[in-house]
Amino acid sequence: MGKTRPAVIGVDNSPSMKKLLERSTENLDIDLTVFTVAEEAWSYLQSNSTDLVILSNILPIKDGLTLLKELRQLPGQEQTQVIIISSKDYAQDRVIAKELGALEFIPKPTPMQTITDVVVKYTQANLKNQDK
Amino acid sequence: MSKSQLRFWGVRGSYAAPFRSHLGVGGNTSCVEIRSGDHLLICDAGTGIIPLGNELMQQDKIREMLIILTHYHWDHVCGLPFFVPAFIPDWKIDFFGPGDNPQSIEEHISAQMQAPYFPVGTETWLAETNYLAPKDDGFQYGPMKIDFSNVHHPGITYGYKIEINNKTIVYASDNECMFIEKSIKHRSDEFNEEEHELFKEMIHEEHQSELNLIQDADILIHDAQYTPSDYDKKHGWGHSCYIDTINTAIDANVKELYLFHHDPNYDDAAMEAIHKHSNEIIKEKGASLICHIAKEGMVVDI
Repeated sequence: MGKTRPAVIGVDNSPSMKKLLERSTENLDIDLTVFTVAEEAWSYLQSNSTDLVILSNILPIKDGLTLLKELRQLPGQEQTQVIIISSKDYAQDRVIAKELGALEFIPKPTPMQTITDVVVKYTQANLKNQDK
Repeated sequence: MSKSQLRFWGVRGSYAAPFRSHLGVGGNTSCVEIRSGDHLLICDAGTGIIPLGNELMQQDKIREMLIILTHYHWDHVCGLPFFVPAFIPDWKIDFFGPGDNPQSIEEHISAQMQAPYFPVGTETWLAETNYLAPKDDGFQYGPMKIDFSNVHHPGITYGYKIEINNKTIVYASDNECMFIEKSIKHRSDEFNEEEHELFKEMIHEEHQSELNLIQDADILIHDAQYTPSDYDKKHGWGHSCYIDTINTAIDANVKELYLFHHDPNYDDAAMEAIHKHSNEIIKEKGASLICHIAKEGMVVDI
């Protein structure tokens, strides 16, 4: 039986960022789900595991770093791989993200190839239709 | 409807600037009072809260207040260790600001009053102090409805929208306007055609998101720390160039704008030049926006 496809979660309220995530990963054999508010992602993550979370910092109501902090307190999510892609990429935000175990902090605007590369790096995703 | 007023007690950003050349505008750091009847709301607690505290000690009608903090950088909290009402038993002070829970808000506020940085801690505050739990959908304080949003500044920082007497006041002391647009323009050569199209949408979305906080505000008090030449050097420091603040206010149909969080290096003459240029921009655009330089002691009827 083949390996299950990596699950990737995006959390970003920007429709253009959703398109960017979808187009950057359209050739990758992954399951991508994009949530637009932290609360929706939180509900999902409480009962689902994921291979990679791509998180924006500025979100409506609850910000991305607060979501990440809460995620780390959730049993089973202490080691979940998280990268931040955000326009709010001040040094202080980077330090907080690093302390919370974010693997990378990538500033917006983000070229599509950068997103493709980072998803492959952390999920070992294959190209679609590639022999497994 | 109670008589309501807004008063600027501190208008500087970064650090206090008590220099003779600066005193026309004022040298204290961020603090704005909004008073409606006996309800006292204080936005930020920079050094401006010290003279406010001293004045409060001269009256006996008000003994309670709510202090809302945009964030915990020094220039927004450094007046608290010298805020006299906090040290007096019959006062009651509620605090609200970024934080996961009331304990974390208390920790952020008390952290500056610890050895070796300060001789006494917040345990010496004899006033009743309460730290309000985080809220997702705003809250009511007497006649004031208070909402908040995350804004573009290092760490978690709020901008506040206060509705009172059918007027909307927005207080966004620290916020870097139009950040993504400038970042995209700066790195324009790196992107292909498809990315350019997506980033055009992204600029529009972020601008719309900025406008949402301040749309149709009667009074906007907003970060305008830098001139264009200083902003070029300090892009990404979390503060706005005054030109971006003005353009965003015009786009959001703001009625009156108070340029705020002035750079401590700018003396009265420099601030006057900023004001003159601001009015030229507004005139050139044919906008109806009224632009002020926020000055210490300035009182606005609401």
